[in-house]
Order: sequence, then C-alpha cells, then structure tokens
Amino acid sequence: MAPPRPKLRVRDVEIGHRSGRKGTYALAVDGLSFDVAPNEFIAVVGPSGCGKTTFLTAVAGLIPISGGTLELDDHRIDGPGRDRSLVFQQASLFPWRNVVQNIEFGLKAHGRLDAAGRARVAELVELVGLGGKGDKYPRELSGGMSQRVNLARALATDPELILLDEPFAALDAQTREVMQEELTRIWQADGVKAGKTAMFITHDVPEAVFLADRVLVLSRGPAHLVADIHVDLPRPRTPAMKRTPEFLAMSDRIVDLVMAQSQIGKQAQPGRRVTSDDHAGVAAG
Amino acid sequence: MTTQVSQPASPIAGPIERAINARKDKKLTTGTLGLIGLVVVLGAWQIAASAGWVDASFASSPVGAVRALVHMIGTGELWPPLLSTLESVACGMIITVVVGIPLGLLIGRSNTLYGLTEPLVSIMYSVPFVVFLPIIIFWFGIGAEARLVIVVWSAIFPLLINVIAGARNVDRHYLQVATVFCAPRLLTLRSVTFPATLPFVLAGVRQAVGRALVGAIVAELFMGNAGLGYVVQTETSGFKMDDAMAAIVVIAVLAIVLTRSVAWIERRFTFWSSSV
Ligand SMILES: Nc1ncnc2c1ncn2[C@@H]1O[C@H](COP(=O)(O)OP(=O)(O)OP(=O)(O)O)[C@@H](O)[C@H]1O
Ligand SMILES: [Mg+2]
Repeated sequence: MAPPRPKLRVRDVEIGHRSGRKGTYALAVDGLSFDVAPNEFIAVVGPSGCGKTTFLTAVAGLIPISGGTLELDDHRIDGPGRDRSLVFQQASLFPWRNVVQNIEFGLKAHGRLDAAGRARVAELVELVGLGGKGDKYPRELSGGMSQRVNLARALATDPELILLDEPFAALDAQTREVMQEELTRIWQADGVKAGKTAMFITHDVPEAVFLADRVLVLSRGPAHLVADIHVDLPRPRTPAMKRTPEFLAMSDRIVDLVMAQSQIGKQAQPGRRVTSDDHAGVAAG
Repeated sequence: MTTQVSQPASPIAGPIERAINARKDKKLTTGTLGLIGLVVVLGAWQIAASAGWVDASFASSPVGAVRALVHMIGTGELWPPLLSTLESVACGMIITVVVGIPLGLLIGRSNTLYGLTEPLVSIMYSVPFVVFLPIIIFWFGIGAEARLVIVVWSAIFPLLINVIAGARNVDRHYLQVATVFCAPRLLTLRSVTFPATLPFVLAGVRQAVGRALVGAIVAELFMGNAGLGYVVQTETSGFKMDDAMAAIVVIAVLAIVLTRSVAWIERRFTFWSSSV
C-alpha cells in the first residue's frame, strides 16, 4: 500500500535565532524531520525551551527556516498563508473587538466575511460553547472562554492546517480538562477521521495522548525528533479513557522520554535521530 | 521616555486612573470634603470683605463676583469673550489633532524618526511653553495667528508624547495575529494599530485640551484684544475686581467642562481597555 501523500512534510529543518547585542546565532531547531498525514492530529511535546514555539512559528510562516524543507500540500512554506491558522500560547484576542468580531477577524482579513462567513461564525460561537456571549468583550471573559474564542477564530477561516501553541497552558487544571474534552468534541464534530489536520504543542503528556493521533517527542534544544508514537486509542475519545491502563502506560512511557530529555547533566540517550519511518521501533522500546 | 511623563503616556497610567475611578465611593467623601474646603475659603473671604478687614474694591468678594457674573450674563457682555476664547481653543485643537496624531504615529512607528526626535520632543514637553512667548511675539507679532501659534505650541507636545508612546506600544502579538491571517496593510492599520493606539491618543487629547486653554488664556493676557484672558486683564487694570473674578470663574468652569468632556469621550471609546 502506497503511503498517502503527506499534508505537511518536514525534512531536516533547521531554524536559528539571532539574539543579543552581538547578534550571536543560536540554533533552536536542528535536523527535524517528520510527516503529517491529512486529517491527522499531531501533538508535540518536549522540554521547555527546546524550540517548539520556534518550530510552530516557522510553520505558520512568521519566521524563515535556515535549512531543510517545509512543505504544506507539496508547496514550500515561505510566509504566512490563508491555508494555516494559529492559536497562540497566550490569549491574543483583540480587546476592542467583541467575541463575534474577534472570531470574524480571519474571514475579514481574507475578504470572505459575507453572509456565509457570518453564518459560519455564528455556528462556531455555538460550537465552542459561547452561545449568547457573542457581544462580550475579552476583558469580560474568563481564561477558558478566551481560549475558546481563540480556537474559534482559528477555525473560522477553515484552514488546511491548524497550529496550536499550548493553548491551555495558562488555564487551571479543571478548566484545562474541560477544554481538552471540548477540543476533542469540536474536533470530532467534523466526523471521525475527518477533522482538520492539526499540530498541537503542549507540556502536558496526558493531554497530548488524549488529543492526538500521534505524539512527537522533541529533544532538548536545539530540537530534533526523539520519538514518534502512534496513539491507537479509539475515537470518539471520552474522558473515561484517561483512566484505562493503555492510556496510562502510554503516558508513562512518553513522560519517561521527555524526562530523559529534560534532565540536565544526565546524558540522555538521544544520539540517535528518529525519522517518521522507524517510529515503530521507538514506540515499542 | 516614559519616566519624564507625569501624566498617562505610559500603559500603566490608564489602569491607575481607572483604579481611581473604581474607588468612586472613597472619591465621593473626598468630593464632599473638597466642597467643604471651598465653602470655608469662600465664606472666610466673603466675611473678610463684608467686615471691611480687606478692601472689597481691591480684593473683590464671592458675592461681588457672582453679582458681576450675573450682570455679564444679563447684558450679554460675557458671550463675545467666551466665544473668542472657545474659538482660539477650537482652532488650536483642530490643528493640534490634525498635525499631532499623524506625526506622532509616524514618529512612533519608525525607529529612526523616533531616535531623531525623542530628545527634542521631551525637551519641548518639559520646558514651560511661556518661556517661548517673547520669541513667538517677535516672530509672529501679536495678532490672531500668533495667539493660535501659542495655543498649538502648548497643546501639541503632550499629544505627541502620548501618541508616540501609543504607537510604540502596540502589542507585538496583535500584529502577529494580523500577519498570520494575512490581513492587508490597510486592515491592520484600521483594525489593529489604530484601536491599540486609541487609548493613548485620547489621553493625549485630554491633556492637550487643558494645555490649549492655558495657551489661549496666556495669549489673551499678554497680547489679546478679545477673550476671557483679555477681560481679566482689562478689568483688573480698570480696578473692576468683581468683573475680573467673574471672568476667572468662567475660565475655571470652562477648563472643567472641556477636560471632563474629553474624559467622557475617552471612556465612551476605550471602555474595552479597562482591566478592572
Ligand atoms: N525571538 C527570539 N530571539 C532569540 N532567541 C529566541 C527567540 N525566541 C526563542 N528563542 C530561543 O530559542 C529557543 C527555543 O525557544 P522556544 O520558544 O521555541 O521554546 P519552546 O519549546 O516553545 O519553550 P516553552 O515550552 O517554554 O514554550 C530558546 O533557547 C529561546 O531562548
Ligand atoms: Mg513555547
């Protein structure tokens, strides 16, 4: 069986930052390779500061890559595009626009805010559970509500690829759980195996396992791929699954992988670089 | 730069002002106290004048001032100078706003322009504008244009300082959102940069209006032939202290009304930015 054409192709990607007064150049991502299939939900975990946000920002087209290839639907990514949208790490809603106007922003930017666009926005307001709150301003929203708006804003443009950078990181544990369930629900609303292709960055391993079809573990910075783990929990997923032995075993294994990367001093094993082809080996080990 | 700015111009100032507004109940008692203080001083003044401890024709008196004010309103003498002052302030503010806002945005968005002009603008903001009065008179004479120059001169720097600070403080994340969604430049300007800067612009306009009135009155005092400042000047020279005091009362009311109206507009258009 021929492998399906990947949605996103990441090959030997290298990204650096120039910083400080001397403009020293430091690599944040070095030799990262993997593929994302259409309709796949990918979660990316890795130690803090390893380059996750940097990589996502590059996929969004906000910063250039300095080496390798980054292709979406066989087209090289060389800037922001209408086929991608980004949910930011911090709630970046415009405080001067209400919920509906915030969600409309992407469509407005694309010049697509017609009757159909407005109808879609109204639908999204309901879908993310903000029915009746459309005329509230961001300052009147809780953290969880803000991130719902953020999510709806990213979904409104109906992108090919949606990028999420720790969207629930700032929420308290309970709200976070609720939002995870909401996200799977919103995801599955398009039908199982028909959701949008998504890349979700998180620090929270159980969150990654719960949401994703595949979990990628990145090394300590500069980031490369350490493990590529297929999550074969059935969909639709329910909160009860978080207590199954399969779920817990998988979470534990990934936590170990991340911990090995995080521990400073202790030389982690990852001299070996993993590509998406041999993930079975790592997943087994 | 923000360190030299005593009033808004820093993102912190807004919330602080709002925190003060939020404590309305406490302000209420302060307001009542202020009223009591005012009444006590006016009462003492009136008693001193009535009892003949001070010469009323020299020191005027609250009752005399009110009587003069009522008379000025009755005969309609008040309106021409009031209108004249308002006209100076209005013309000056129009020029200030039309020049100051675009110029401030331009300076704030360009690092080079900002570097070039920042010291100049802060110096001009900090130095009391009246020291330039003789020079302005030397350059522009004492006609209507010269008065306008003084009004604009005194009003434009607080506005510039605020607009520049606003333009420089547009949150990077807001612009990133616009970039990610491929928003056209014009939309970014209109729907992101402009609203993000608006609270600063309006704070600047509020300060500018206060300073414009000061400029107008100073110009009228020193080189006018009309306006409330001119009335104060001529009535004092004519020893009609009651009339001079009446004009001062009108100026005080005008100052309060002008700044309060801009403050109202500010609340009306930037209600979303209040963090409390
Ligand atoms: N704008 C920048 N200029 C210079 N260096 C940067 C910049 N942004 C990030 N870096 C550096 O690049 C590295 C990766 O940062 P990045 O923000 O991508 O990490 P992250 O994995 O998202 O971390 P976290 O999980 O804490 O969000 C870090 O060492 C960071 O210091
Ligand atoms: Mg990050």
